[in-house]
Amino acid sequence: MAEAILDALGQVLTRWTMGGSAAPAAPAEWRDKLGDDASEAELRLLALSGQFLGALAVIEPAGDVRIRPDIAALPRPPLPDTLRPRARRLLEQLREPTQRRHLLDFLDARGWTLHPSDWMPGPDEEVPEVYAAWQDWAVAETSGPAREALTTESWDGLRPAARLAAFTALRRRDPMQAGALLAEKISGETADIRVRLLEGLAIGLSDADRPLLEGLATDRAPRVKALATSLLARLGHDASGSEDTAELAGFFPVQTKGLLRRTRSIAPVVLKTPAQSNRRTALMEAVSFGAFAQALELPPADLVAAWPWGGDRLADHALAAMAARSGSDAIVDAVAEALTNGASVDPYSLAPLLPRLTSVQRRQTAVQVLRAKDGTFVQALAIAGGDGGIAEAMQTGAGGTLVSALKAEDVKPTDQSAELLALGLLASRPAAEQALEQLAAAGLIVSDPRLDMLRLNAALEHRSEFEGATT
Amino acid sequence: MAIDLKAVEQLAADQTSLKAAAGLAKPSRWSGVGASHDAALVWGECAGSGANPYRVMADLRDMGNKCTCPSRKFPCKHVLALFWLHAEAIVPFPAAETPAWVSEWLGRRRSGGTSPKPAVAVEKDVQAARLAEPEPVEDAAAVARRQAATAKRAEDTERAILDALDALEQWVSDQLRLGLAGFVDEVTIRCRRIGARLVDGKAAALAGHVDELPGRLLALPTGDRVRGATVELARLVLLARAFRADPRDPEVRRAVASAESREMLLGDTTNVPRITAAWEVLAEQVRTRRDGLVSQTTWLLNLSETGPRFAMLLDFFPASVGRRGSAFTPGEQFRGEFVFYPARMPLRAVLVQREAARADGPLLDWPVPATPLDEALTTPLLAEPWATERPLLLPSGRIGFDRSGASWWLPGDGAIMLPIAGEAAGLIAGVELTRTAALWSGNRLAMLAAYTPWGRVGHG
Repeated sequence: MAEAILDALGQVLTRWTMGGSAAPAAPAEWRDKLGDDASEAELRLLALSGQFLGALAVIEPAGDVRIRPDIAALPRPPLPDTLRPRARRLLEQLREPTQRRHLLDFLDARGWTLHPSDWMPGPDEEVPEVYAAWQDWAVAETSGPAREALTTESWDGLRPAARLAAFTALRRRDPMQAGALLAEKISGETADIRVRLLEGLAIGLSDADRPLLEGLATDRAPRVKALATSLLARLGHDASGSEDTAELAGFFPVQTKGLLRRTRSIAPVVLKTPAQSNRRTALMEAVSFGAFAQALELPPADLVAAWPWGGDRLADHALAAMAARSGSDAIVDAVAEALTNGASVDPYSLAPLLPRLTSVQRRQTAVQVLRAKDGTFVQALAIAGGDGGIAEAMQTGAGGTLVSALKAEDVKPTDQSAELLALGLLASRPAAEQALEQLAAAGLIVSDPRLDMLRLNAALEHRSEFEGATT
Repeated sequence: MAIDLKAVEQLAADQTSLKAAAGLAKPSRWSGVGASHDAALVWGECAGSGANPYRVMADLRDMGNKCTCPSRKFPCKHVLALFWLHAEAIVPFPAAETPAWVSEWLGRRRSGGTSPKPAVAVEKDVQAARLAEPEPVEDAAAVARRQAATAKRAEDTERAILDALDALEQWVSDQLRLGLAGFVDEVTIRCRRIGARLVDGKAAALAGHVDELPGRLLALPTGDRVRGATVELARLVLLARAFRADPRDPEVRRAVASAESREMLLGDTTNVPRITAAWEVLAEQVRTRRDGLVSQTTWLLNLSETGPRFAMLLDFFPASVGRRGSAFTPGEQFRGEFVFYPARMPLRAVLVQREAARADGPLLDWPVPATPLDEALTTPLLAEPWATERPLLLPSGRIGFDRSGASWWLPGDGAIMLPIAGEAAGLIAGVELTRTAALWSGNRLAMLAAYTPWGRVGHG
């Protein structure tokens, strides 16, 4: 009977859509309820139809309805329930992608993940590898198993994020095999993926990778080409034009001082016009480190030693960027050392080197920043990210400055929130507890929202110690 | 850190505030009272004139304060009452973990100068505020006159409403005659006209319902709007006729004219269900309406065996009041007493009093839905035919997606698939939903909260 009514209502609705009376088309079951008066009949039919359609009928889906697979449990557990509200508040505050990444890295370093109800990564978001399974789930209809060994056969079966994570892991374990696998499979990938895979190849780079890189140095995609070229340069095989290098060398004459020691130092030519400055910058972006050193007739390490660090910030930054693109690991270390040696640190010039520094190096550099004059936790955060392992945070100059600032007469309830957040992301667990004690003594109440990150830090156990993970 | 009554007197804007605060500084009006471990912050929840309680908080170091009530007075009477409670130790302020809603307020505070001093020295006296005013004595004739005037007003209102409902039915007939295709195209303008007529006719609640009709209709997919219009217009006819049949029926009157006040509801001891039970806060919805009011709805689940399965608290306040804090935290469970507005299937309620939210101990499980699904979907809507949505508890199920990407709720066993309003994304799309609480509009499901193997998930 219900079917018959529903069918009849199709007619009724059609008539009302156009306008006009529908009572003549009413379902047979209802005809005698409508009465004799025409307009009354319409209203009664409306009441019955509306209630039938509104309360007793459900739409059916056209075609299949498919469920998604379960969201996988990640290799690391979610935060304990008691800490989730605080984490949610921090996620609210940290909307900007870099800041959010620091929080994710912090949790990852301690061995935890976020709960999927509080946050899940977008498909293209840069997130720690541990979330690979969730990224793939968000994109795909089906997702493969969370962890699978990467081989020629299994390559295509893995979804992109999982595959990238597996490749990076393989490269760390067995660089030769990873290199061979990549040589076989890379041409089948899109340009974006090729770049990401090539970035993974940078780990444990060696001359064995040279043939593959020389092939990719002629790739169609400009970013792949540029990255392959710079990786080759890091290995010492570069193709900078000799005219360019000679011209660049002209900007940086080498002098020899002293009769006995014969120390080399570089005295940059003073730039007179904007055109000159632009030209020099362009050259520094094009020429590789090895070629530059050769043109100056200096071994690369000596170039670093002879450079007048701190004299010309633009030049410092450009040289650091050059080292990051095309210098060997040893050169990168030497430049980082040179930039953090002095009494004050140059975060601007350090920035290009950061992707090539290990997390241990970044932490050490961050500590030096904190010790330097005017060093701040915010600067250190830009260098080390959500490290969560700096034990001496409060013993540094930056620590002392922060506490003093909070004790000041005219301090406002929202002052220093960026510094406190950065400190919370950088400090080790004991250092965070120490900081909370000192800040309480400086007058901050326990429930001050600026202390959210420090409190999360102090409450969060270091799970990674049980995993034996090294960073 | 302690404050004394003198400070309360100075803080108050005028004697009226003090008097009102005196009336509120009683233990029965307050729940969830606490202080931070360092005694700098105090907070509590106060039963106001609305359905939802107000959250009140203060920083004793500088007398900074905030309340979620819509009052424009600063400080409001609830804040003064909180200070009063503290100054005279009328209730204990146990030391506790600072609730999130207090921390968030702290984070948003501007520096200093939060309490403006009154420009003119106003005569204020705490002791005078304490004295209850004597009831004015009325003679029998005055009482009779007053009652007759009230009855006359009620009669006039009823007549005005009936006339407005006649106009409404005429308007509905016109829409059918002109065609529903045109109605859908011009729904906003046409509803505004009849809405104004309903306001003139004192059918305020129904006017509000009609005001929101265009929003509900246009939220449907284009192909579904004629059916949607039929359902909406039918509801208006059903309600108009129900009113004509019995204008004194409280449920119908509430849907057409206006709801009973909190005082009236609490004063009626015969007709009105009072339930004390364990409850869980499902979700809170804040919606801005076309008429400039903001509605705040809190949905609660009854975790015990007796009484209505759900309670709905509903308050309105002007949009000009600005952003208000919520009254509850979704997921919190507490024992509390609710009084329900009389209805065939009671749902709307006011909170009389509650115990503090349970901080420790395992959470109570959600009950197993007792009625079969098809009955649960239809019975409440048949009992209250003009309702736009009713809450229900779903058994185990999962979210699925059709060819076009629209989401559906699929039962673990059983055939009925329910379309979901809006998008179902994130965790709920990739996990078994052991139990789901949702609003059913007769047509689409709006999820409120669910239990999953990953724990409780709120929605929206």
